[in-house]
Amino acid sequence: MNCADAGRLLNAYADGELNLESALPIEAHLETCARCRASLEGLTALRGALSAACDYRPAPERLRARVLGGLAREAAPRAPAPAWPARLLVALPGLLALLITGWLVVTEPWKQTAPQAAARSHVVYHMASSEHAGAALRTLKNLLDAAPQMKVVVVAHNNGIDFLRRGAKDETGHAFAATLREFRARGVEFRVCTNTLTRRRIDTADIVPEAVLVPSGIAEISRLQSQLGYVYLRI
Amino acid sequence: MPNTPPTDRERFVTLMLPHLDAAYGLARWLTRNDELAEDAVQEACLRAFRFFGSFRGDAPRPWLLRIVRNACYELAERERSTRQSDTFNESKHDAEAAAPGAVLVLPVNPEAALIARAERDQVRACLDALPADYREVIVLRELQGCTYKEIAMIAGLPIGTVMSRLARARRLLQARISETMRQEDTGT
Repeated sequence: MNCADAGRLLNAYADGELNLESALPIEAHLETCARCRASLEGLTALRGALSAACDYRPAPERLRARVLGGLAREAAPRAPAPAWPARLLVALPGLLALLITGWLVVTEPWKQTAPQAAARSHVVYHMASSEHAGAALRTLKNLLDAAPQMKVVVVAHNNGIDFLRRGAKDETGHAFAATLREFRARGVEFRVCTNTLTRRRIDTADIVPEAVLVPSGIAEISRLQSQLGYVYLRI
Repeated sequence: MPNTPPTDRERFVTLMLPHLDAAYGLARWLTRNDELAEDAVQEACLRAFRFFGSFRGDAPRPWLLRIVRNACYELAERERSTRQSDTFNESKHDAEAAAPGAVLVLPVNPEAALIARAERDQVRACLDALPADYREVIVLRELQGCTYKEIAMIAGLPIGTVMSRLARARRLLQARISETMRQEDTGT
């Protein structure tokens, strides 16, 4: 494979869109070609920058309420209309109760602060070691199965980055690659500490394309927790 | 009440409302205006509900996002007079005018380091300034985590176009961020 062929497929490769058969020749080419490795690094850097710059922002509660209200109005004409005013009178107390319940459910007035609301659906996984990465990913899978809408960011530093290196295998000798792709498809983000890479002299091209780089893993975890209300988990 | 079959509305709420965050995220990036984004999502959800009968698939998210996307462009079109946004069309056309086979193999990338230390605001501003059809594929891929197939479905593009447009969009964005960083370095 030459640079032109590799270049044409590099984005798809970085996005994990290639099957093994197409990915292998690119990996072989990347081994030998510094120029294409640099392009891949550029892509990884861009993805890292985007992922760090553009935080997930949940829809405001008022939008949810607006949509539910709109749907109710939209659906209303299809409901059987009350035949005469007396029937309306009979229905009134029930309707009132329904409205109040609806208001309570939609606005949840007892939940006052926004960070708490955000915290319910955002989790940051801290990986400081890869020794039990297999087990950690299994718990992550359970978490996502139980709460598919949960936004999960995995931040890896120190030895925790090892399971995100190319060709990494779990305790039983299975490659992590397929699992990582599956997690990416479910919206999980993997962020790798650049300080760790520098300190351990690991080439960025050695990190799987499913992960993106952030300047500091610890700073990233603090930021997610303090500014964006993420819940912290360490396995 | 508990034993009645779910109404259309209940089914819609169960299937589609979990994707409200994704819808809002996409709308914010496409309209670049939080208020407009809310209007677009509201409009799209009602429209989706009206067409809910035609939803057959097992993929509610791309189905809804496609409707959100179209609603965003329609709303943005209506607002166009106040938010004229295609300042960067020129650079876009330059990128598209480049030889199609050669676009991806460009000068080696010493830009990775430059991009890695860009501030969040700078990255966001550069993404904001991309032409809409480039911004769209990047947002769908990087921020919504969509597969190429899903992007093709949402944006109504052939999958090959998704691939080449994403490559061009990233290249343009890389160039814009590096340019911003260089300007900062030289103090201009």
